[in-house]
Amino acid sequence: MNSKEIGINQLKRRDFLRAGLVFGAGAAGLAAGYAAVPDAFARAVYAAKQNGIANDNVLVMIQLAGGNDGLRTLVPLSDPTLHDMRPKLAGPMVSQALPLNKDYGLNHNLGGIKGLWDKGKVAIVQGVGYQNPTFSHFESIRIWETGDPTRRSVEGWLGRTLAKAYDSNGHPLTGCACGATDVPGALRDLQATMTVIQNQKTFGFTGGSEVEAAVGALYKGTPGIYGALFDTAIATANDTIATLRTSSASYQPMADYSDKVKLVYSSKNQLAAALQLGAELIVTGTGVKLLHVTLGGFDTHYTELNRHDDLMGYLDSAVSAFYQDLEAHGKADKVLIATWSEFGRRPKENASGGTDHGAAAPLLLMGDPVKSGLYGAEPSLTNLDSTGNLKYAVDFRSVYQEILGGHLGADSNDILGGSFDRVDFLRAPVAV
Amino acid sequence: MALRSPDPIVETAPPARRRITRRQALAAAVATGIGVGAARLVGGTIQNISRSSSATGTDWVSPLGRESAQVMHLLRRTTFGYTPAQLDTALSDGYTKTVDRLLETKPQEPPALTAASVPGGRFAVQQLQQWWVDHMLTSATPFAERMTLFWHGHFTSDYRKAADNTFMYWQNLTWRRMALTNLRSMLMEVTTDPAMLRYLDLATSTGANPNENYSRELMELFTMGAGNYTEEDVRQSAKALAGWQIPPPDSTATVTVDQAKMVTRKLPVYSTQRPGVFNQRRAYKGTVTFLGHTGPLDTQGVIDRILAQQATASFIASRVAEHFVTSQPAASYISRLADPFRRSKYDMKALMHAVFTSPEFTAGGSYRALLKSPTEFMVHGARALGAHGIGKLIVASGSGMGQSLFDPPDVSGWPNNAAWISSNTVVERVNFVTLALGQAKGSLPSAGDAAKTQLDGVLSPQTATLLNQAPDERSRWFITLASPEFQLK
Repeated sequence: MNSKEIGINQLKRRDFLRAGLVFGAGAAGLAAGYAAVPDAFARAVYAAKQNGIANDNVLVMIQLAGGNDGLRTLVPLSDPTLHDMRPKLAGPMVSQALPLNKDYGLNHNLGGIKGLWDKGKVAIVQGVGYQNPTFSHFESIRIWETGDPTRRSVEGWLGRTLAKAYDSNGHPLTGCACGATDVPGALRDLQATMTVIQNQKTFGFTGGSEVEAAVGALYKGTPGIYGALFDTAIATANDTIATLRTSSASYQPMADYSDKVKLVYSSKNQLAAALQLGAELIVTGTGVKLLHVTLGGFDTHYTELNRHDDLMGYLDSAVSAFYQDLEAHGKADKVLIATWSEFGRRPKENASGGTDHGAAAPLLLMGDPVKSGLYGAEPSLTNLDSTGNLKYAVDFRSVYQEILGGHLGADSNDILGGSFDRVDFLRAPVAV
Repeated sequence: MALRSPDPIVETAPPARRRITRRQALAAAVATGIGVGAARLVGGTIQNISRSSSATGTDWVSPLGRESAQVMHLLRRTTFGYTPAQLDTALSDGYTKTVDRLLETKPQEPPALTAASVPGGRFAVQQLQQWWVDHMLTSATPFAERMTLFWHGHFTSDYRKAADNTFMYWQNLTWRRMALTNLRSMLMEVTTDPAMLRYLDLATSTGANPNENYSRELMELFTMGAGNYTEEDVRQSAKALAGWQIPPPDSTATVTVDQAKMVTRKLPVYSTQRPGVFNQRRAYKGTVTFLGHTGPLDTQGVIDRILAQQATASFIASRVAEHFVTSQPAASYISRLADPFRRSKYDMKALMHAVFTSPEFTAGGSYRALLKSPTEFMVHGARALGAHGIGKLIVASGSGMGQSLFDPPDVSGWPNNAAWISSNTVVERVNFVTLALGQAKGSLPSAGDAAKTQLDGVLSPQTATLLNQAPDERSRWFITLASPEFQLK
């Protein structure tokens, strides 16, 4: 299946307008491409199934949007340079950190994740980034979402995974963005079906099955450049509603999820609720494979001390409940939880008691599938790049590769368009 | 609501052009719809258009060859819909005069928001949202609100971090007042806007230890676009811009912020809107090298260096074109807009006039090429129904469709077009229609004309079928407002 032939998988969330990537050439050609989508698309996905994935492993990506401060997540405990660079921020973060060894500790609000570490269920890859980093949120988000530092790709790496390795057609919950309203860039690929559920309690048509049927009839063969998108969204919504109807009835949460967590600025994203929905989808056997959730607020240019600590606490409480729930339902062995963020932050703090956009940062990988430990290499605070930022040690695509090949059992070379150095953070990789 | 799925469509030969009733026309539209994809319904006659057996040629059949359709297209993209009287006025004025009227009519001011005098701007954001939505629903100059909405997404701020809803209110008043002025004065205004000073941290930056947040976004998102400046430019202008602070209040009021713990705080009280103030002691004292220019540089100097870059006019023209014309403007179109915009000293009214009178705006390919944002969709729907009292529902419904006013997803504002479509947002759009119809007081306007006046009579076979089968006015309105046609502009 050559995606270029169809030429309609340019549904990039953020930058597509500015990058002029919308829909290839001209409304007419576009309409042509679209009109051809459903059939060609269904056949293509069906064909792809022969190389598909047979295991029932699940990936949960947690986006820490805004640029998470790596130095406050995995804190260097014994580097005196940190105190020189961050006179306001370094003191408490070092003294309160939860030590993992003599050199590094977790942010003091990551107590639940520290507990998982103690049980051997947390791997941390240090110094993750890419060459010639951009300091624009939107460019870097796109790079992480597409897995392409040259910024040419428009499909998301998880979207490509859905399209190439799974039969998502008619199974809209194979890929799901929980707690969002739009399809995250990482999941976007027009050859894949995925669903988006902001709030499970309200997801459904007011007025019930009659409205459902009327809308289903209204959105069929819709003309125009958005026609197939609309029709697919409605069909996906209807399939999702039908699936949720049965799943919700058979799920009881076995953990205390709460979004009433103290934050300096109230959160746009209800991370705990989103993860609880994720747990429901996993536990009730909806066939979910790729989940994406987002927690925003990490762009801590200002008063980072409390803001970042609070966000760490929010993340910790949601992830802890999620893991506990999965474990109680006997699903923890199938689920890999990974964080990502467009960049880390500048080692040197600014006048606002915050930090500006940075580069390399650690990623957290959590759950039973991981082999606990520190991987990669902490970038040096004394050997910064020309912008005063941390140099990367591990290409982010190395982490993707391990997730794709080792956890999901997908053909990472095909999805990422190349192979990268191994980062061996999985207990029992299924392939690679 | 009693709706049933359409029966399987049987292909029949299209009727020859002849006078038929609306009902017959709708039925015929369905019959001819097979393999055509879109039927065009004009003034009670059905035309057989581009009948093709190929499955690859389905696009809306543009009616924009007719001036009346152009006027409706213009109003859809520049207002929140129209009453029959407003449409009649515009139709009798014609396209050119309507463009002039849009651009030359002084904006109707919204009523003052009384909550804005609450100390520290500590009032619910929903009050602010509803204040604006209510004005959108009733304003006699909806174009001013559409432009304010455009600038709210462009020079965006978020109430959470601005942490003072009075400042957010001021920012809204500013964009309405300045919407059609010039970019140079707008850039000075946005730089010193109190909500923006908070949102992008310029208020806490100093020359000695600058905060880069505002400096970067001023170039990346507000004026030039990524790739047209260096990281060094970001650092240098961060120095040059430092020194602005939140304006001092007229007085302070001691307010209990936590009843349970009896926590009180002194909060600022402002009697009038004002910009930030410059504190020389926090400014950078030396020279900077910014966009190729070395020397001492103040805020106006930074803005003027940015305006001297070719990229700036093109970037603004692109943002305007993407918002009002097409999701993918051609480079040649952008330079045709950008060059005169630059020569006009960045006159926004001149740019908007050029956009609305450009052939691209009314070209066939531009027909239904944009998606209404959630706010546009909801306000347009409410105005079509004459339901001016459903502001609260509109405020409550925005988030599920991806748009809460004063609360953009991030500093780049809201996305456009295709990004508004997901399984979640389409369900929420339909639900809004159901709830709006439930809340619409009294008798609804006749839905009989809606397909023609709201949807130009250009319907998909499905929409035509369902409208034809709808048993009552409410059902017809449901189909009209929930249809794909109505989501587009």
